[in-house]
Amino acid sequence: MTNEQIALIEAILFVSKDPLEPERIMNFLEITDVEEFEKILQAMEKKYLLDRPERGLILKRSGGGLQLVTKPEYHDALKDFFTIKQVTKLTLASLETLSIVAYRQPATLAEISDMRGVNTSGPVKNLLQKKLIRISGRKKVPGLPALYATTPEFLIYFGLNDLSELPSLEELTELFEEKEQPSLFK
Amino acid sequence: MMETPDYQVQTDFFEGPLDLLLHLIRKNKLNINEIRLSEITTEYLSYLEKKKGINPSRESDFLTTAATLIYIKSRSLLPKPENPAEESPEKQLINTLIEYEKIQKISKLLQEMEYTERLLWRRLELNENFTNREYALKEVSAFQLAEIFFAIVRKKENEQFLYVSSKNYSIAAKQAEIAALVKENGYLDFSTYMNRLDSIEEILVSFFTLLEMIKRHLLIAMQETLFGTISLYPNLPGEMSN
Repeated sequence: MTNEQIALIEAILFVSKDPLEPERIMNFLEITDVEEFEKILQAMEKKYLLDRPERGLILKRSGGGLQLVTKPEYHDALKDFFTIKQVTKLTLASLETLSIVAYRQPATLAEISDMRGVNTSGPVKNLLQKKLIRISGRKKVPGLPALYATTPEFLIYFGLNDLSELPSLEELTELFEEKEQPSLFK
Repeated sequence: MMETPDYQVQTDFFEGPLDLLLHLIRKNKLNINEIRLSEITTEYLSYLEKKKGINPSRESDFLTTAATLIYIKSRSLLPKPENPAEESPEKQLINTLIEYEKIQKISKLLQEMEYTERLLWRRLELNENFTNREYALKEVSAFQLAEIFFAIVRKKENEQFLYVSSKNYSIAAKQAEIAALVKENGYLDFSTYMNRLDSIEEILVSFFTLLEMIKRHLLIAMQETLFGTISLYPNLPGEMSN
Protein backbone atom coordinates (compact mmCIF):
# COMPACT_ATOMS: atom_id res chain seq x y z
CA MET A 1 0.00 0.00 0.00
CA THR A 2 1.41 3.35 -0.96
CA ASN A 3 0.29 6.87 -0.16
CA GLU A 4 0.04 7.43 -3.87
CA GLN A 5 -2.52 4.65 -4.26
CA ILE A 6 -4.67 6.11 -1.51
CA ALA A 7 -4.41 9.58 -2.98
CA LEU A 8 -5.38 8.29 -6.40
CA ILE A 9 -8.41 6.41 -5.07
CA GLU A 10 -9.47 9.54 -3.24
CA ALA A 11 -9.10 11.63 -6.39
CA ILE A 12 -11.15 9.19 -8.45
CA LEU A 13 -13.91 8.98 -5.84
CA PHE A 14 -13.94 12.74 -5.43
CA VAL A 15 -14.78 13.27 -9.08
CA SER A 16 -17.37 10.52 -9.45
CA LYS A 17 -21.00 11.35 -8.88
CA ASP A 18 -22.11 7.73 -8.51
CA PRO A 19 -20.69 4.96 -6.32
CA LEU A 20 -17.84 3.21 -8.16
CA GLU A 21 -17.43 -0.54 -8.28
CA PRO A 22 -14.33 -1.57 -6.31
CA GLU A 23 -13.30 -3.95 -9.13
CA ARG A 24 -13.02 -1.07 -11.54
CA ILE A 25 -10.61 0.79 -9.26
CA MET A 26 -8.67 -2.39 -8.54
CA ASN A 27 -8.16 -3.05 -12.23
CA PHE A 28 -7.10 0.50 -12.83
CA LEU A 29 -4.54 0.38 -10.01
CA GLU A 30 -3.45 -3.07 -11.23
CA ILE A 31 -4.10 -4.63 -7.86
CA THR A 32 -5.02 -8.29 -8.20
CA ASP A 33 -5.18 -9.28 -4.56
CA VAL A 34 -8.62 -8.54 -3.14
CA GLU A 35 -7.31 -8.65 0.42
CA GLU A 36 -4.63 -6.12 -0.35
CA PHE A 37 -7.18 -3.80 -1.87
CA GLU A 38 -9.45 -4.28 1.12
CA LYS A 39 -6.55 -3.28 3.39
CA ILE A 40 -6.04 -0.08 1.43
CA LEU A 41 -9.73 0.71 1.66
CA GLN A 42 -9.86 0.05 5.38
CA ALA A 43 -6.85 2.27 5.97
CA MET A 44 -8.47 4.98 3.91
CA GLU A 45 -11.80 4.54 5.64
CA LYS A 46 -10.47 4.76 9.17
CA LYS A 47 -6.96 6.12 9.49
CA TYR A 48 -7.15 8.72 6.76
CA LEU A 49 -10.75 9.86 6.98
CA LEU A 50 -12.86 8.74 9.94
CA ASP A 51 -10.15 9.12 12.57
CA ARG A 52 -8.98 12.47 11.27
CA PRO A 53 -11.01 15.26 12.86
CA GLU A 54 -9.70 17.73 10.27
CA ARG A 55 -11.34 15.77 7.45
CA GLY A 56 -14.98 16.35 6.52
CA LEU A 57 -15.43 13.22 4.43
CA ILE A 58 -15.87 9.53 4.98
CA LEU A 59 -15.73 6.55 2.64
CA LYS A 60 -19.15 5.03 2.13
CA ARG A 61 -19.93 1.62 0.70
CA SER A 62 -23.42 1.45 -0.70
CA GLY A 63 -25.16 0.26 -3.82
CA GLY A 64 -22.25 -2.18 -4.18
CA GLY A 65 -19.82 0.68 -4.73
CA LEU A 66 -17.49 3.17 -3.11
CA GLN A 67 -18.28 6.81 -2.62
CA LEU A 68 -16.99 9.78 -0.68
CA VAL A 69 -19.68 11.40 1.45
CA THR A 70 -19.67 14.05 4.16
CA LYS A 71 -19.50 13.17 7.84
CA PRO A 72 -22.96 13.05 9.42
CA GLU A 73 -22.11 15.68 12.04
CA TYR A 74 -21.85 18.35 9.32
CA HIS A 75 -25.40 17.83 8.09
CA ASP A 76 -26.81 20.88 9.86
CA ALA A 77 -23.90 23.12 8.89
CA LEU A 78 -24.25 22.11 5.23
CA LYS A 79 -27.96 22.79 5.37
CA ASP A 80 -27.27 26.26 6.77
CA PHE A 81 -24.56 27.04 4.27
CA PHE A 82 -26.62 26.07 1.25
CA THR A 83 -29.79 27.53 2.83
CA ILE A 84 -31.78 24.37 2.42
CA LYS A 85 -34.95 24.64 4.42
CA GLN A 86 -36.14 21.12 4.29
CA VAL A 87 -34.56 17.85 3.34
CA THR A 88 -37.01 15.81 1.33
CA LYS A 89 -38.20 12.66 3.01
CA LEU A 90 -40.44 9.85 1.85
CA THR A 91 -44.00 9.76 3.14
CA LEU A 92 -45.21 6.88 5.26
CA ALA A 93 -47.33 5.64 2.35
CA SER A 94 -44.27 5.61 0.12
CA LEU A 95 -42.20 3.82 2.75
CA GLU A 96 -44.87 1.15 3.17
CA THR A 97 -45.03 0.70 -0.58
CA LEU A 98 -41.26 0.40 -0.80
CA SER A 99 -41.25 -2.14 2.02
CA ILE A 100 -43.68 -4.34 0.13
CA VAL A 101 -41.79 -4.01 -3.13
CA ALA A 102 -38.45 -4.69 -1.41
CA TYR A 103 -39.63 -7.88 0.26
CA ARG A 104 -42.13 -9.16 -2.28
CA GLN A 105 -40.56 -8.13 -5.53
CA PRO A 106 -41.59 -8.32 -8.20
CA ALA A 107 -45.06 -7.17 -7.09
CA THR A 108 -48.04 -5.73 -8.94
CA LEU A 109 -49.97 -2.63 -7.95
CA ALA A 110 -52.95 -4.80 -6.99
CA GLU A 111 -50.81 -6.93 -4.69
CA ILE A 112 -49.30 -3.84 -3.05
CA SER A 113 -52.70 -2.17 -2.59
CA ASP A 114 -54.10 -5.38 -1.21
CA MET A 115 -51.40 -5.66 1.42
CA ARG A 116 -51.74 -2.04 2.48
CA GLY A 117 -55.55 -2.14 2.40
CA VAL A 118 -55.63 1.08 0.38
CA ASN A 119 -55.23 2.10 -3.22
CA THR A 120 -51.53 2.70 -3.72
CA SER A 121 -51.27 4.09 -7.25
CA GLY A 122 -50.14 7.50 -5.93
CA PRO A 123 -47.14 6.26 -3.95
CA VAL A 124 -46.16 3.86 -6.75
CA LYS A 125 -46.10 6.70 -9.24
CA ASN A 126 -44.15 8.87 -6.83
CA LEU A 127 -41.56 6.13 -6.30
CA LEU A 128 -41.26 5.52 -10.04
CA GLN A 129 -40.55 9.21 -10.52
CA LYS A 130 -37.95 9.12 -7.76
CA LYS A 131 -36.43 6.07 -9.49
CA LEU A 132 -36.60 4.05 -6.27
CA ILE A 133 -38.66 1.39 -8.03
CA ARG A 134 -38.91 0.34 -11.66
CA ILE A 135 -41.14 -1.77 -13.85
CA SER A 136 -39.34 -5.08 -14.09
CA GLY A 137 -41.79 -6.87 -16.33
CA ARG A 138 -45.41 -7.88 -16.73
CA LYS A 139 -47.26 -10.50 -14.77
CA LYS A 140 -48.63 -13.25 -16.99
CA VAL A 141 -52.22 -12.86 -15.80
CA PRO A 142 -55.17 -11.19 -17.52
CA GLY A 143 -54.44 -7.52 -18.07
CA LEU A 144 -50.69 -8.10 -17.93
CA PRO A 145 -50.18 -5.79 -14.94
CA ALA A 146 -46.77 -4.19 -14.47
CA LEU A 147 -44.45 -5.80 -11.95
CA TYR A 148 -42.45 -3.47 -9.75
CA ALA A 149 -38.97 -4.07 -8.34
CA THR A 150 -36.42 -1.95 -6.50
CA THR A 151 -33.63 -0.12 -8.34
CA PRO A 152 -29.90 0.41 -7.66
CA GLU A 153 -30.92 3.92 -6.52
CA PHE A 154 -33.03 2.28 -3.82
CA LEU A 155 -29.92 0.60 -2.41
CA ILE A 156 -27.93 3.82 -2.51
CA TYR A 157 -30.74 5.83 -0.95
CA PHE A 158 -30.93 3.53 2.06
CA GLY A 159 -27.19 2.87 2.23
CA LEU A 160 -27.44 -0.81 1.35
CA ASN A 161 -25.01 -2.84 -0.70
CA ASP A 162 -27.54 -5.42 -1.62
CA LEU A 163 -31.03 -6.53 -0.76
CA SER A 164 -29.77 -9.33 1.46
CA GLU A 165 -28.64 -6.65 3.92
CA LEU A 166 -32.27 -6.03 4.80
CA PRO A 167 -33.21 -8.13 7.83
CA SER A 168 -35.39 -11.14 7.17
CA LEU A 169 -38.96 -10.99 8.39
CA GLU A 170 -38.11 -13.23 11.36
CA GLU A 171 -35.14 -11.11 12.35
CA LEU A 172 -37.28 -8.05 12.03
CA THR A 173 -39.78 -9.25 14.61
CA GLU A 174 -36.97 -9.91 17.09
CA LEU A 175 -35.34 -6.59 16.29
CA PHE A 176 -38.45 -4.70 17.23
CA GLU A 177 -39.41 -6.85 20.16
CA GLU A 178 -36.16 -6.00 21.87
CA LYS A 179 -36.50 -2.28 21.80
CA GLU A 180 -40.14 -1.53 21.44
CA GLN A 181 -43.71 -1.72 22.59
CA PRO A 182 -45.06 -5.20 23.24
CA SER A 183 -45.59 -6.80 19.88
CA LEU A 184 -48.84 -8.27 18.74
CA PHE A 185 -47.10 -11.56 18.12
CA LYS A 186 -46.23 -14.10 20.76
CA MET B 1 -52.36 18.81 -12.83
CA MET B 2 -51.44 15.47 -11.48
CA GLU B 3 -51.86 15.50 -7.75
CA THR B 4 -50.52 12.50 -5.93
CA PRO B 5 -52.94 11.39 -3.22
CA ASP B 6 -49.76 10.73 -1.34
CA TYR B 7 -49.61 14.28 -0.03
CA GLN B 8 -53.03 14.25 1.57
CA VAL B 9 -53.16 14.54 5.27
CA GLN B 10 -55.32 11.77 6.57
CA THR B 11 -57.63 12.22 9.50
CA ASP B 12 -55.74 11.18 12.58
CA PHE B 13 -52.92 10.16 10.27
CA PHE B 14 -54.12 6.67 9.58
CA GLU B 15 -52.64 5.28 6.43
CA GLY B 16 -55.64 3.10 5.80
CA PRO B 17 -58.20 0.77 7.38
CA LEU B 18 -55.52 -1.76 8.37
CA ASP B 19 -53.54 0.94 10.13
CA LEU B 20 -56.65 1.99 12.02
CA LEU B 21 -57.46 -1.59 12.99
CA LEU B 22 -53.95 -2.19 14.28
CA HIS B 23 -54.18 1.01 16.24
CA LEU B 24 -57.43 -0.12 17.88
CA ILE B 25 -55.97 -3.53 18.68
CA ARG B 26 -52.89 -1.95 20.26
CA LYS B 27 -54.92 0.62 22.12
CA ASN B 28 -57.00 -2.12 23.73
CA LYS B 29 -53.83 -4.12 24.43
CA LEU B 30 -55.23 -7.11 22.62
CA ASN B 31 -53.26 -9.98 21.16
CA ILE B 32 -53.83 -10.24 17.45
CA ASN B 33 -53.97 -14.03 17.49
CA GLU B 34 -56.58 -14.18 20.22
CA ILE B 35 -58.66 -11.18 19.34
CA ARG B 36 -62.22 -11.47 18.13
CA LEU B 37 -62.54 -8.82 15.51
CA SER B 38 -66.21 -8.44 16.26
CA GLU B 39 -65.20 -6.83 19.54
CA ILE B 40 -63.54 -3.85 17.93
CA THR B 41 -66.08 -3.46 15.15
CA THR B 42 -68.09 -0.91 17.12
CA GLU B 43 -65.03 1.17 17.81
CA TYR B 44 -63.99 1.04 14.17
CA LEU B 45 -67.42 2.16 13.03
CA SER B 46 -67.59 5.01 15.54
CA TYR B 47 -64.28 6.24 14.19
CA LEU B 48 -65.72 6.33 10.67
CA GLU B 49 -68.73 8.26 11.91
CA LYS B 50 -66.51 10.86 13.51
CA LYS B 51 -64.60 11.41 10.31
CA LYS B 52 -65.50 14.68 8.67
CA GLY B 53 -65.38 15.30 4.96
CA ILE B 54 -65.60 12.55 2.44
CA ASN B 55 -62.88 11.68 0.03
CA PRO B 56 -64.53 8.93 -2.02
CA SER B 57 -61.41 7.07 -3.09
CA ARG B 58 -60.04 7.05 0.43
CA GLU B 59 -63.25 6.42 2.33
CA SER B 60 -64.13 3.51 0.09
CA ASP B 61 -61.16 1.55 1.40
CA PHE B 62 -62.29 2.23 4.96
CA LEU B 63 -65.87 1.30 4.09
CA THR B 64 -64.87 -1.98 2.47
CA THR B 65 -63.18 -3.00 5.69
CA ALA B 66 -66.17 -1.80 7.70
CA ALA B 67 -68.40 -4.08 5.61
CA THR B 68 -66.05 -7.01 6.21
CA LEU B 69 -66.08 -6.32 9.96
CA ILE B 70 -69.88 -6.21 10.08
CA TYR B 71 -70.04 -9.42 8.09
CA ILE B 72 -67.64 -11.06 10.53
CA LYS B 73 -69.68 -9.82 13.46
CA SER B 74 -72.95 -11.07 11.97
CA ARG B 75 -71.39 -14.48 11.35
CA SER B 76 -70.22 -14.69 14.94
CA LEU B 77 -73.80 -14.16 16.11
CA LEU B 78 -75.17 -16.97 14.00
CA PRO B 79 -74.71 -20.63 14.66
CA LYS B 80 -72.34 -21.87 11.97
CA PRO B 81 -71.62 -25.29 10.65
CA GLU B 82 -68.00 -26.18 11.27
CA ASN B 83 -66.14 -26.22 8.03
CA PRO B 84 -62.44 -26.25 8.69
CA ALA B 85 -61.49 -26.45 5.01
CA GLU B 86 -62.88 -23.03 4.35
CA GLU B 87 -60.94 -20.07 5.65
CA SER B 88 -63.20 -17.75 7.59
CA PRO B 89 -63.26 -14.05 6.66
CA GLU B 90 -62.07 -13.33 10.18
CA LYS B 91 -59.00 -15.51 9.75
CA GLN B 92 -58.32 -13.89 6.39
CA LEU B 93 -58.50 -10.39 7.82
CA ILE B 94 -56.30 -11.34 10.75
CA ASN B 95 -53.70 -12.76 8.37
CA THR B 96 -53.77 -9.56 6.37
CA LEU B 97 -53.32 -7.61 9.60
CA ILE B 98 -50.35 -9.74 10.67
CA GLU B 99 -48.74 -9.17 7.28
CA TYR B 100 -49.49 -5.47 7.47
CA GLU B 101 -47.89 -5.20 10.88
CA LYS B 102 -44.70 -6.59 9.39
CA ILE B 103 -44.85 -3.99 6.64
CA GLN B 104 -45.17 -1.26 9.23
CA LYS B 105 -42.08 -2.55 10.96
CA ILE B 106 -40.09 -2.64 7.74
CA SER B 107 -41.28 0.88 6.96
CA LYS B 108 -40.08 2.04 10.31
CA LEU B 109 -36.72 0.44 9.71
CA LEU B 110 -36.47 2.05 6.27
CA GLN B 111 -37.39 5.37 7.83
CA GLU B 112 -34.53 5.08 10.32
CA MET B 113 -32.18 4.11 7.51
CA GLU B 114 -33.37 7.04 5.45
CA TYR B 115 -32.73 9.35 8.38
CA THR B 116 -29.14 8.23 8.91
CA GLU B 117 -28.41 8.21 5.18
CA ARG B 118 -29.80 11.69 4.73
CA LEU B 119 -27.15 13.01 7.10
CA LEU B 120 -24.47 11.99 4.62
CA TRP B 121 -24.16 14.30 1.66
CA ARG B 122 -23.06 13.05 -1.70
CA ARG B 123 -22.04 14.74 -4.88
CA LEU B 124 -25.28 15.69 -6.66
CA GLU B 125 -27.06 16.32 -3.38
CA LEU B 126 -27.49 19.96 -4.32
CA ASN B 127 -29.03 19.17 -7.68
CA GLU B 128 -31.83 17.42 -5.87
CA ASN B 129 -32.32 19.77 -2.98
CA PHE B 130 -30.95 23.14 -3.88
CA THR B 131 -33.89 25.50 -3.73
CA ASN B 132 -32.14 28.78 -4.37
CA ARG B 133 -31.07 28.03 -7.88
CA GLU B 134 -33.26 29.44 -10.55
CA TYR B 135 -33.62 26.20 -12.37
CA ALA B 136 -33.30 22.99 -10.49
CA LEU B 137 -33.34 20.94 -13.66
CA LYS B 138 -34.45 17.39 -13.37
CA GLU B 139 -33.64 14.93 -16.06
CA VAL B 140 -36.83 13.22 -17.13
CA SER B 141 -37.40 9.64 -18.04
CA ALA B 142 -38.96 8.16 -21.14
CA PHE B 143 -41.85 7.26 -18.83
CA GLN B 144 -42.68 10.92 -18.24
CA LEU B 145 -42.24 11.82 -21.89
CA ALA B 146 -44.66 9.05 -22.81
CA GLU B 147 -47.19 10.36 -20.32
CA ILE B 148 -47.26 13.78 -21.93
CA PHE B 149 -47.23 12.22 -25.36
CA PHE B 150 -50.38 10.24 -24.69
CA ALA B 151 -52.08 13.29 -23.20
CA ILE B 152 -51.44 15.17 -26.44
CA VAL B 153 -52.57 12.28 -28.62
CA ARG B 154 -55.79 12.07 -26.64
CA LYS B 155 -56.37 15.78 -27.16
CA LYS B 156 -55.70 15.52 -30.89
CA GLU B 157 -58.02 12.56 -31.26
CA ASN B 158 -60.95 14.75 -30.29
CA GLU B 159 -60.15 17.39 -32.85
CA GLN B 160 -61.76 17.42 -36.26
CA PHE B 161 -59.41 17.53 -39.18
CA LEU B 162 -60.01 18.22 -42.80
CA TYR B 163 -57.48 16.32 -44.77
CA VAL B 164 -56.51 17.76 -48.08
CA SER B 165 -53.66 15.45 -48.78
CA SER B 166 -51.62 13.21 -46.62
CA LYS B 167 -47.98 13.87 -46.08
CA ASN B 168 -45.32 11.32 -45.52
CA TYR B 169 -43.13 12.00 -42.55
CA SER B 170 -39.71 10.52 -42.18
CA ILE B 171 -37.60 10.30 -39.08
CA ALA B 172 -34.60 11.69 -40.93
CA ALA B 173 -36.49 14.77 -42.08
CA LYS B 174 -37.99 15.26 -38.63
CA GLN B 175 -34.62 15.00 -37.02
CA ALA B 176 -33.23 17.72 -39.27
CA GLU B 177 -36.23 19.90 -38.48
CA ILE B 178 -35.96 19.41 -34.72
CA ALA B 179 -32.20 19.91 -34.75
CA ALA B 180 -32.67 23.20 -36.64
CA LEU B 181 -35.33 24.38 -34.16
CA VAL B 182 -33.20 23.51 -31.16
CA LYS B 183 -30.21 25.23 -32.71
CA GLU B 184 -32.21 28.33 -33.47
CA ASN B 185 -33.86 28.72 -30.04
CA GLY B 186 -31.34 26.97 -27.87
CA TYR B 187 -34.03 24.61 -26.64
CA LEU B 188 -37.39 23.13 -27.58
CA ASP B 189 -40.49 23.03 -25.43
CA PHE B 190 -41.89 19.53 -25.73
CA SER B 191 -45.60 20.29 -25.22
CA THR B 192 -45.68 23.44 -27.32
CA TYR B 193 -43.94 21.70 -30.18
CA MET B 194 -46.17 18.63 -30.07
CA ASN B 195 -49.33 20.69 -29.84
CA ARG B 196 -48.40 22.59 -32.97
CA LEU B 197 -48.27 19.48 -35.10
CA ASP B 198 -51.05 18.70 -37.53
CA SER B 199 -51.82 15.04 -37.29
CA ILE B 200 -51.40 12.06 -35.06
CA GLU B 201 -49.12 10.57 -37.67
CA GLU B 202 -46.82 13.55 -37.46
CA ILE B 203 -46.89 13.48 -33.66
CA LEU B 204 -45.96 9.81 -33.70
CA VAL B 205 -43.05 10.35 -36.05
CA SER B 206 -41.86 13.37 -34.03
CA PHE B 207 -42.08 11.50 -30.78
CA PHE B 208 -40.04 8.58 -32.05
CA THR B 209 -37.54 11.00 -33.57
CA LEU B 210 -37.18 12.72 -30.19
CA LEU B 211 -36.71 9.42 -28.38
CA GLU B 212 -34.13 8.40 -30.96
CA MET B 213 -32.27 11.70 -30.60
CA ILE B 214 -32.27 11.40 -26.80
CA LYS B 215 -31.03 7.85 -27.08
CA ARG B 216 -28.21 8.96 -29.32
CA HIS B 217 -27.38 11.72 -26.85
CA LEU B 218 -28.07 14.47 -29.37
CA LEU B 219 -30.70 15.96 -27.07
CA ILE B 220 -31.28 15.94 -23.38
CA ALA B 221 -34.74 16.20 -21.82
CA MET B 222 -35.07 18.38 -18.74
CA GLN B 223 -37.94 19.26 -16.48
CA GLU B 224 -37.67 22.46 -14.50
CA THR B 225 -40.19 21.65 -11.83
CA LEU B 226 -41.98 18.51 -10.84
CA PHE B 227 -44.92 18.08 -13.26
CA GLY B 228 -43.68 21.14 -15.15
CA THR B 229 -43.07 21.41 -18.84
CA ILE B 230 -40.31 19.36 -20.39
CA SER B 231 -37.70 21.12 -22.46
CA LEU B 232 -35.21 19.57 -24.83
CA TYR B 233 -31.70 20.93 -24.92
CA PRO B 234 -28.83 20.10 -27.21
CA ASN B 235 -26.59 17.70 -25.35
CA LEU B 236 -23.33 19.61 -25.53
CA PRO B 237 -20.31 17.86 -24.09
CA GLY B 238 -19.37 19.22 -20.69
CA GLU B 239 -22.67 20.95 -20.21
CA MET B 240 -25.78 19.70 -18.44
CA SER B 241 -24.04 16.43 -17.93
CA ASN B 242 -23.82 16.90 -14.19
